[in-house]
Amino acid sequence: MRRRFEQRAFPKLLIALGHPVLWAIGLLACGCLTVSGAGMDGGASQFHHQIQPMLEEYCFDCHGDGEQKGNVAFDQFKSDQALLENHELWLRVLKNLRAGLMPPPQRKSRPDAEQKEQIEAWIKNAVFKIDPQNLDPGRVTVRRLNRVEYRNTIRDLMGVEFDTQSEFPPDDAGFGFDDIGDLLTLPPMLLEKYFAAANTIVTEAVPSVPAVPAEVVIEGRRFKESAEVQKVNRNGAPAGALVLSYYDAASATNLFEASHAGRYQLLLDFTANERYVENQFDQNKCRLRFISDGKELLRRDYTREGGKAFRYEFDQDWRPGEHELVLEVQPLTPDEKQVRSLTLRVRSVTVRGPMEKQYWVPPREYARFFPRTTPEDQAGRRQYAHEILERFAERAYRRPVDQQTVDRLVGLAEATYSEPGKTFEAGIGQAMTAVLTSPRFLFREEGTESKETGSPVAVSSSRYQLVDEYSLASRLSYFLWSSMPDEELFRLAGRHELHQHLPEQIKRMLADAKSEAFVRNFVGQWLQVRDIDTIQIDARQVLSKDGSADPEREQRLKRYRTLRDKEDATGVSPEEKKELDELRNILFRSFKRPPRVELTGKIRKALRLETEKTFEYIVRENRSLLEFLDSDYTFLNERLAAYYGMTNLNVKGEAMRLVKLPEDDPRGGVITQGSVLIVTSNPTRTSPVKRGKFILENLLGTPPAPPPANIPPLEDAAKAAKGHTLTLRETLALHRDHALCASCHNRMDPLGLALENFNALGLWRTHDQGQPIDATGQLLSGERFTDIRQLKKVLVQNHAVEFYRTLTEKMLIYALGRGLEYYDVGTVDQIVDRLKESNGSPSVLLSGIINSAPFQRTRATPPVDTAKQTEPAAQAAAPAGGL
Amino acid sequence: MSMPEPKQIAGQRRTAFNRRQFLRGLGVCIALPMFESLQPWKAFAAATPGRLANSATGAPLRAAFLFFPNGAIPAAWWPKEPGTDFEFSPTLSPLAPLRDHLQVLGGLDHKQANPGADGAGDHARGNGVFLTGVRLKKSATDVHAGISIDQVIAREVGHLTRFSSLELSSDAVRTSGACDSGYACAYQYNLSWSSPTTPVAAESNPRLVFERLFGAGGPGERAANMKRRQQEQRSVLDFVLADARGMNQRLNGRDREKLDQYLTGIRDIETSITKAERFGAPADPKMETPSGIPSDRVQYVQIMFDMLALAFQTDSTRVATMLLGHDGDDRSLPEAGVPDGHHSLSHHFNNEAKIEKLKKIDHWYAEQLAKFLQKLQDTRDVDGQSILYNSMILYGSGNADGNRHTHSNLPLVLAGSGGGALRPGRYLQHGSKPMSNLLARVASEMGAQNIHGFGDSTGVLEDV
Repeated sequence: MRRRFEQRAFPKLLIALGHPVLWAIGLLACGCLTVSGAGMDGGASQFHHQIQPMLEEYCFDCHGDGEQKGNVAFDQFKSDQALLENHELWLRVLKNLRAGLMPPPQRKSRPDAEQKEQIEAWIKNAVFKIDPQNLDPGRVTVRRLNRVEYRNTIRDLMGVEFDTQSEFPPDDAGFGFDDIGDLLTLPPMLLEKYFAAANTIVTEAVPSVPAVPAEVVIEGRRFKESAEVQKVNRNGAPAGALVLSYYDAASATNLFEASHAGRYQLLLDFTANERYVENQFDQNKCRLRFISDGKELLRRDYTREGGKAFRYEFDQDWRPGEHELVLEVQPLTPDEKQVRSLTLRVRSVTVRGPMEKQYWVPPREYARFFPRTTPEDQAGRRQYAHEILERFAERAYRRPVDQQTVDRLVGLAEATYSEPGKTFEAGIGQAMTAVLTSPRFLFREEGTESKETGSPVAVSSSRYQLVDEYSLASRLSYFLWSSMPDEELFRLAGRHELHQHLPEQIKRMLADAKSEAFVRNFVGQWLQVRDIDTIQIDARQVLSKDGSADPEREQRLKRYRTLRDKEDATGVSPEEKKELDELRNILFRSFKRPPRVELTGKIRKALRLETEKTFEYIVRENRSLLEFLDSDYTFLNERLAAYYGMTNLNVKGEAMRLVKLPEDDPRGGVITQGSVLIVTSNPTRTSPVKRGKFILENLLGTPPAPPPANIPPLEDAAKAAKGHTLTLRETLALHRDHALCASCHNRMDPLGLALENFNALGLWRTHDQGQPIDATGQLLSGERFTDIRQLKKVLVQNHAVEFYRTLTEKMLIYALGRGLEYYDVGTVDQIVDRLKESNGSPSVLLSGIINSAPFQRTRATPPVDTAKQTEPAAQAAAPAGGL
Repeated sequence: MSMPEPKQIAGQRRTAFNRRQFLRGLGVCIALPMFESLQPWKAFAAATPGRLANSATGAPLRAAFLFFPNGAIPAAWWPKEPGTDFEFSPTLSPLAPLRDHLQVLGGLDHKQANPGADGAGDHARGNGVFLTGVRLKKSATDVHAGISIDQVIAREVGHLTRFSSLELSSDAVRTSGACDSGYACAYQYNLSWSSPTTPVAAESNPRLVFERLFGAGGPGERAANMKRRQQEQRSVLDFVLADARGMNQRLNGRDREKLDQYLTGIRDIETSITKAERFGAPADPKMETPSGIPSDRVQYVQIMFDMLALAFQTDSTRVATMLLGHDGDDRSLPEAGVPDGHHSLSHHFNNEAKIEKLKKIDHWYAEQLAKFLQKLQDTRDVDGQSILYNSMILYGSGNADGNRHTHSNLPLVLAGSGGGALRPGRYLQHGSKPMSNLLARVASEMGAQNIHGFGDSTGVLEDV
């Protein structure tokens, strides 16, 4: 008999509540306990009578009776209260129990399904106090817009693209995502940038005058070309530009129709480009002429200009009617050596005019900000400014704005436009700059439903308040669009009808092109495919390892080294010298050729799109989420198909398309997609450990513990194998001989090794460094598999629930902008249950998240109206403590 | 709301040509341009009381802290015998021409970076402890470190210059996924901390550094642009402050912390406006503004060093940090002839080939440092000495042996004479003393008074 749990502390409790049978019956009858039934006393008592005996039987060998592996001992609680308040410990217990990691699978005595359920139920009810009718929504720290959200919000609010990627510092991420409120700090340097950005954006977006001369931009490409021009117009030209070579005479023409007689300005914009060719400088020159109606406006010679931009302006008096504009290039150095690297890229010719005021037009996008003509009188102007700025601030702050704020904005605008020489528009722009710099724009402030205005939905049994409709609109739009709400969401929120129309709105939002942001940002971070854009892989090194054994080459290499050493030491005979050169030639020929494939920008993009399109397809078509794990299709374009060597599928063109994979093809599912395979590799080789860890972390939700601080050296073990190079599999096997390493590597390695048939470029291979690849393995949970195809089947058949839970958790983190806590187990479990019933329906997942307590409700004080706010903060937070 | 074709603005419009022009003008290996006109501090320095960030001659004194990732192979890093006639080790050989201007410091430890009860996470700690000398709170969201030495200095001498400090990084890309072993990413990407909970984000885009220091636009336009920018800033300050105060009343708890950060930022902007009035127009280097981040690693690191050199030369600041790469950086460095990932290599398990590659990487970083130091050595300061002479440039890593994650006997080089206060030209072995003592010494040379009890320091390192 084992030493009993330290009972002295609780004898009274045990006597008072000691009816184990009753507890057991209660459990069996309803499968769960209500919160009221499992207060602290009840929870502790249940522990001692029902849970503790199971722990003693299955866990105390390592976690009791003086043992405390991993710093866990189930008999060392100071009190019942300490036992019930250790949420962190019990969350670990719950996770390990569910994943089958504890008790360790190799142990003979393990709890049966019913016992496991009892422990789970006790943890959820007695320790976490999860009340399914009253799920704790937790609270999220007010979120600053991250780089992506800022950019998209500016696009939707102002109609301009602002490149936050290069203007703002990277956002700190946590839990795998970059939209976590706690971590989106605002360092002074960033605020400085927000100030500057607001100015730049308003200057670009908001017209500062009511009328300007008309402007027509003729893209370079719209100049009609002679045959010579077409020849060079293909490669690398920016969209819309006309590319003229230094080496070929060419002329290109455009006819412009002037509407009125008057003075016009012509603006010619081009760059003189140079493609870098190693150690070769191209000294050619050419002459560019720009001719209008037969009159030469420009004649200039160009040599290597290093990509410099040129801009010329010409004034013209034009009659109404057609005018001919000609660009002409003449090579000037026919005898010079041509590296063929020099081009002129004409971006555009802009025709501005007539310059006479009576012909002026409102600037581009004028009506977006200024819907009517500006009144002349002071009061009228103020009224108009009020209208414009109230509407603007409401959009920018994404919620109604008090009159005081609007008045201050009007004051700011007025102060500017009352200055001599300043326009009304400039004043409005000034006020808009202030709005874009305000914390109410930069942060997403939220409010709660107040009781007076409560919609029917708001009145529910939950003791947690719903966030108000504007907050819900923002939560939705930043979740699905990474941007601000649109007109329709604002309208519904304004009418208090958003809650009622949620299902249609979710559908509408997903159908909108803006939902691409959800795909990109969620998948990009969940599966880390964002990293594909920047990861460095040395294609040559990777490919050189894929060949099967080549004894002949080995022989040559050996001989080469002998001769080389001899040459260094004593010198070689002429015959030997000749042999050495020949060997060098044969052996290193391959280094002179570019590698067979390379991770070009276009391949990287196609790889990223393959994963994004897969996600998009599964979600939009509402297929099963399990197709992430295994499917008989993928998305390819011609380039990617060729990269993968899948040339027999007849995929043509640049566009990514759904491709049905041949029977028995190892691909299908995200873990066999190039993107995932590459971002989990090292620069020169695969990493089965990283790949295994990736699957555990992102698909199965059981991340291994971080490696120990002092990794024991493996070299002693490695020495035993002296004589031959260890394969990766052998090296890892050595790893697993160490008990310390084995606990995690036994889980990571089989998963990672099953993917060894894919090299660090994500390409199929059969050999690694001359050795045939062995992809067989066995999971810790017992299933054996011979290769990746079987492993994927095992994951789908036996591990679907773990996958559902992991995906739900990841998406919930992304949607909420916070990490998950113990009390979120209830929310996640509800969604997972529905996923099980629906066989993994994406729409069930999305609506589950959007309808969840944490997405719709908040624990926080209702802020809303400062004047009405009476409740102190601490009081509102009280229910959260809960214990 | 309708969605018209968006206009492209800001960074996107700038094309690559600027970079090449810039490189041609400033150059990776070309010395900094001398600008005699750029000496706005002359009159000012003389008026500075005591030795607050000033050398004995009255010239400005500067401190910079440079961090390289993943430690260094100890056998190739350390010279053989301590003393003045030490022989440069293979890794540090690029620094040999500067022997009289630097010292190699051995025997300094960061014990707070050892695992202790915190377990894994030596890269987060190596990085986060480097300039703070405190134990980091192991949490993914609840960040807590300590004020870093550069910020300690900046608090006391920051008022002397346009910018109280400058934080730079040549590590612009973040990978997705979690950071080191349960530590917040903030520890691993920031050297500077203005308070235990506030990392100071570093600037990694050379164009933005340049524009911040000297104003946007071409030569001749910058002062006016900067002035206009500040007028624009000033004009909205009242409005946003009122908005922030109103919002602050509606928030509580952690939300208020966010608003506090906003208000701190506002105060900084106000300070910079006041300073601009006090200091007048900034210097205007006669060179093109750099266009952005070069794809070539050597160029990138050197351009960032150039920005730092310019900042010192124009006395825009006297304190700076630069993160060459965060600890745990797995970047491949083809520029150093090593295609493998740096961090993956650093766990070499005594594999000879891997060690050789690591030596190349360590050597490459030392080369980059040497170019920077040479530039500072070749640039004359107001008192006729070199800028390097009037500086203290600490170069090091938060891991000693990357293979085993040790934080004792950290690889450190201190360049510059501190205006004559230091005794360079030596390799010193300090036995086993806290690195915080060295940091405290640098701060003390800078005139900082408030250094008692900095990090885990037990005093001020004397023999430097």
